[in-house]
This record gives sequence, structure tokens and C-alpha cells, in this order.
Amino acid sequence: MRHARWRGVARRHTWWRGLATAVVATAGVPLVGGCGIQDSDVIEAGGPATVEAFLNRDADMLLFFRSPDGGLSPVIREVRPSAGFGEEYIEPGAVERAPSGPAGPAPTEKVVLALLSGPGEADRAAGLTTALPAVREKEAVKVEVSSDGGVTARLPLAVRALDATAVRQLTCTIAYNQVKDGRGVVTLRGLDGAERSGSCGLAPGTSG
Amino acid sequence: MITVPRPGRPRDEENERADGAGPAAPTRRRSRVRAFGLRTRLLAAFLLVAAVSAGTTSALTYREARNALLKTAQDMAVSTFRDQVERTGWRLPVEEEGIEEILRDLARTGKPRPWVVFAEYGSIRASSGENPVSSVITPELRRAATADRYGSFERVVKDGVPYLTIGMPTVFKTGPDSTLPTGLVLYAVMRMTDEQINVDALLVAARNGALPGLAVALVPALLAARSVLRPVRELRRAARSMGSGRLDTRIPVRGRDELADLADTFNESAGQLERSVGELRDAEARARRFASDVSHELRTPLAGMLAVTEVLDEDADRLDPDTAQAVRLVSAETGKLAVLVEDLMEISRFDARAAELNADEIDVAEAIRKTLQVRHWAGDDRIRTELPPDIRARLDPRRFDVVIANLVGNALRHGGAPVTVLLRTEASSSGTLVLVVEVADRGPGIPAAALPHIFDRFYKADAARTRSPGSGLGLAITLENVNLHDGTIRAGNLPGGGAVFTVEIPLRAEEAVR
Repeated sequence: MRHARWRGVARRHTWWRGLATAVVATAGVPLVGGCGIQDSDVIEAGGPATVEAFLNRDADMLLFFRSPDGGLSPVIREVRPSAGFGEEYIEPGAVERAPSGPAGPAPTEKVVLALLSGPGEADRAAGLTTALPAVREKEAVKVEVSSDGGVTARLPLAVRALDATAVRQLTCTIAYNQVKDGRGVVTLRGLDGAERSGSCGLAPGTSG
Repeated sequence: MITVPRPGRPRDEENERADGAGPAAPTRRRSRVRAFGLRTRLLAAFLLVAAVSAGTTSALTYREARNALLKTAQDMAVSTFRDQVERTGWRLPVEEEGIEEILRDLARTGKPRPWVVFAEYGSIRASSGENPVSSVITPELRRAATADRYGSFERVVKDGVPYLTIGMPTVFKTGPDSTLPTGLVLYAVMRMTDEQINVDALLVAARNGALPGLAVALVPALLAARSVLRPVRELRRAARSMGSGRLDTRIPVRGRDELADLADTFNESAGQLERSVGELRDAEARARRFASDVSHELRTPLAGMLAVTEVLDEDADRLDPDTAQAVRLVSAETGKLAVLVEDLMEISRFDARAAELNADEIDVAEAIRKTLQVRHWAGDDRIRTELPPDIRARLDPRRFDVVIANLVGNALRHGGAPVTVLLRTEASSSGTLVLVVEVADRGPGIPAAALPHIFDRFYKADAARTRSPGSGLGLAITLENVNLHDGTIRAGNLPGGGAVFTVEIPLRAEEAVR
């Protein structure tokens, strides 16, 4: 109705149109700003929080299992108890066998065997699983470190058939037990003669 | 202000317009408050400017204040939550047992307010509250925390209640320089009720600040409208005063603004107009005086000539026929010239407004009869009269005689017999009694084209008749005489043929029929 009246007075039309625009603008400014507290987008506020995980590089090993969302979750396991359900494999020469100084005391072969034996009770309670097949032969794991820092692991299973998660589980476990920061290329060689190499790449871009 | 009093007539017209004008004449409305008048427009413009500025300022201030308020709360919450999380320790894999204790500790120390803390690890879902999974945390925040591994926050409004949700993924050190994600993500959910109250208070304050601003804006708006409208009103009054003939109207010039310039220009133009009109009037007066002087100067020699031609007329019979004819022609033309000069002098007196009304109470029928008698038309059978007795009026006998003689003479000369002279009184439309004299003939009547000009000076209704026995001023003089009596005269044609002249002269109430 108001509009019709504006049209009726044609001479004033331009004037009224300007006024209407201004009024709309006036009313629009607060509306655009919004009243009260509005929803917001997801706003990034810094990196992740660094928590204490009680990792003792001299006594613990890091195993990587599959979490329900498809990613990898690191699990810290003491070497000694794990040896209980594995077999005694601590020999004095273990430290010497890891020539890259910073590597942990637990021999990488033993760590890989622990990984291959699957998630423990506590791991399963948290929903962690493994993508690796069960392995019977325990002696067939051999880890060699080449002069350029690359690691080659000989595994008692068919590497070609492993899926990506399984490969990453192995790669990360081996990498992090060889070097503290988990960098370096790991080559997996299986019974089937296939070779797959890669690096773990789990670490956040910037580290604490 | 204008010192000239308002003239009567335009005022009445204006009232009529104000009363009678409906939608038919919207442009001529003269009410003081108009829908789109200057005052309305100025007020609207001022209010608009005030509203825009107050609204914009309040809105911007409000927005900035609100954002600052929210930012402070959010930043504090995020940094506090990060600090708290970084003080916790977790065994990997995280065990469900005891996790709620840790979360409750976290929840108690929330800042600026306690929050509910949720933990997600593998398939474990735990919280410090009742539900292990929050319904407020959005998939986007979850993705930012799990996939992108960023500490992030998001405001979520659910059921009208605003929440701040913070997602914080955790990492642990594997060496002095390297970290590894634990897979544990902690979320904090905090109600922003206090912030909402503060923001609402801000909004109310902004609104309360803007409204008085609008009210205050009304004052300068009214003042500005007044300062513009007053000169405009004065100008309008002055223009109307000028229109009604008061050319000496001037407007007082105040200040140095554009309206003062306008008033100045108006005054200048009015002065020039007054001068021009004055010059025109002087010229017209000079022309009239000249005509009057000429006719005056002609009268004396003409009187001598008339006397001589009368003598020559009497002796014409004794002259030889050619000379006698010439003498009679000279005599007749001299007579006409004398009549013309008399008429010219008469009309000059009217033009100079020197004509006086020597009113006397007379019997109108008697006066008409006397006029006819003097002109030797009393016994004429071409003239019929209908003169009821006892109609008395205050008239100038000489001028009334001229009116009747002119009309009857005209009718006899140009119209056809019989000529009827009717006398009566009747009530006019305004209720006063008027004296009506009708002079009608049975001639061909007046051509329609000539009717509007019949009372003009020297107007000849019949163009072919070059030589008229009259001076050509008769009807003009008649009109002036009737006007002098406050009367009217009109010419028309009878339906059966013939011209009719109707003279109406108002009778004063006490001078009506006795």
C-alpha cells in the first residue's frame, strides 16, 4: 500500500526513492553486523597442545596401531614386560647393533616383532587394531642400516599384499625406533621379494 | 515583516480555495503543514542524517565492542585450555579408567568460566559431564582437530544459547625437537551466557544512545526549517501584495544568505516594476490630458463655426442650388463635429475620473417620458413604452437622460421599429432590488462577432457603413454612465430577432418603491 502511494505521486518518486534507499541502508548496517552473539567459522588458534606421555627412550618402544578413524596411533610399551610374552631377546650387544647413536636401546627387530604380534589388551580396549597379518615366524626379521642413514627391514611376510596402513604402521614403528624424530627412509623387503620404501611423515610440521 | 496590510480580495480567494479545493486542485493547497512541504522535507532530511549517523556509529561501536568482548573471552579460554591440557600426562594407549577424573580436574579450572571437557581417543569417548559426546561440537571443528591437527575454536549457537567450543589435539615429545600426535583430542565446551548478557547490554546501550540523538536532531531541523520558511512566507505575502496592485511592497533583507539575495532581487525587481508602471501611467495620463485639451481647444472655434453655419443655413434658400447644397453639408458636418467634440470631452472626464454623480431622487418613469419628449419621440408611433409609475430611484437625471437617449437613438438608427422601452424592478441574485430598463428593437440584431466589442470606443458594428450619424462614442459613454451608478449594461439579441440592451442599476433599500 505504501508503495502504491509512492507511485501515485510521480513527481516525488525520485526523492522518495532516495529516502527509501537511505532508510534501508540505515536499517541494514546494524543488520549486517548482526545482533547478539553469532555462530562463527572454525578459527585456528595455534598448534596442538604438548602433553606428557612418559616416554622413556631407554626403556620403552613405540608401536603404531590403527585407530578407528583410519589414522595411526602411537602406543608406548615397556620393553621388559613385552619381552614376557615374546621371548628373551636382550643381549648385551643390542646397543652396539644400532649404530645411529640416538636410537633406543630396544633392538628394532624386537620392536617389529612386538608390532607384528598385534595390539595388546589395553590397546584393544581403546579401539586400536592392526592392519598387519599375523606372523608365526619370529626369527625372520632383520634390520640393516645403510651408511646414508636409510633403514632396510627384511620381513617374514608378503610385502606386496600389505595395504597402506599396514605399510605405514611398519614404517613408522621402524623409523621412530631407529631415530628419535622418526625421519629417514625405510625400505621394507618381504618374503615375496617385493620392496616398498617410504618415510613415516606423522610428525607435525613444526615440533615443540 | 511586511507592513502592508493584507488586501481583501486575494484573502477571500485563498479561503475559498482552502475550503473548496479537494483533490481537484492539489497544487494550490495553502495549508501551513504540507505532506511534502519544505518543513517536512527538511525535518525528514535532518532526521535521516541523524538516524544514519547515529545508527552507523552505534552499530559500528557495538560491533567493535562486541567483537573485542568475544575475542577477549575466546582468547583467554583457548590459552587457558591449552595451558591446562599441557599440564596433564597420559599413558599411551589411553585407558578409559581414570580418564574422567582428569577431565573433571580440567573442567573445574576453566577460565573465564568452568567448561565441560570431552576426550576422544580411538573408540574411547569420555567427558567431565553427563554425556560422553557433546552435541554442540561440529564436524568442522572435529576435522580441524583430528585431520589438520590445529588447536581451534568455534562459536556455536544452539537453541539460542551461544557456546564456545575449543578443539585441542595433543602431541607428545619423542625427542628434544620432535613431537608425535598422541591421537587424543580434548574438547572444551563453554556456555557464553555472561558474554551474551554483556553483548545484550551493549546493544541496549547503543540503541539508547541513538534514540536521544534523533530527538536532539529535531531541534536544529525545526530551526533550519523556520529560518528557510519565514523568508519564503514573507516573499509569498509580498508577491501577493504586489499582485493586488501594491507596487510599493518591499521585503526586509536579513543576513547575507541566498534567501537574503532573493529578497534583494525581489525588492529590486519590485522597484523597477513600480517605476515602469509609473511611467506607463504617466504616459497614459498625458495622452488623456492631450485628448481632453484638444477637445477643449476645439470647442471654442466650433461654437463660432456653429453660429455661422446656422446663419448660412437660414440663408441657403436664397443661394444658388450648388452653393446651398455645399453650405448645408458644411452645416451638417459642423454639427456632427460639435457632437463628437462634446462626446470626446465627456469621455475624457470619465477617463480622468472627473465625472461626478449628481444623484437626486427621481421618478424613473417620469424621467424616461421627459427624455423622449425632449427628443421629440413622445408622439412617435415607432416607440412603445411600458413605464409603471411610482418607481423612484436615486439617479443623476442628466446622466440617466443620456443613457436612455443613446439607447433609444441607437435602436431607432440601427434597429427596426417598433422600439420598446420597458421599465421594471426585480430582485437580483444577491437579493437586492435592481432597477431594470430594457430597450429592444425589431431590427436584424447585433452580429455575434460584434457583441463583445459593442461598447468599445469608435467600434462600428457594420463595417460597410462608413458614415454613421453618431460619433461612435455613444455606447461607450452609456456604459461609463451606467457604471458610475454602480450598474451594469449588457447587449444581446432577442430570440425573435432584434437587439436588446438591458440596464440594471441597484436600488438602495431605503430608496426602493414607496
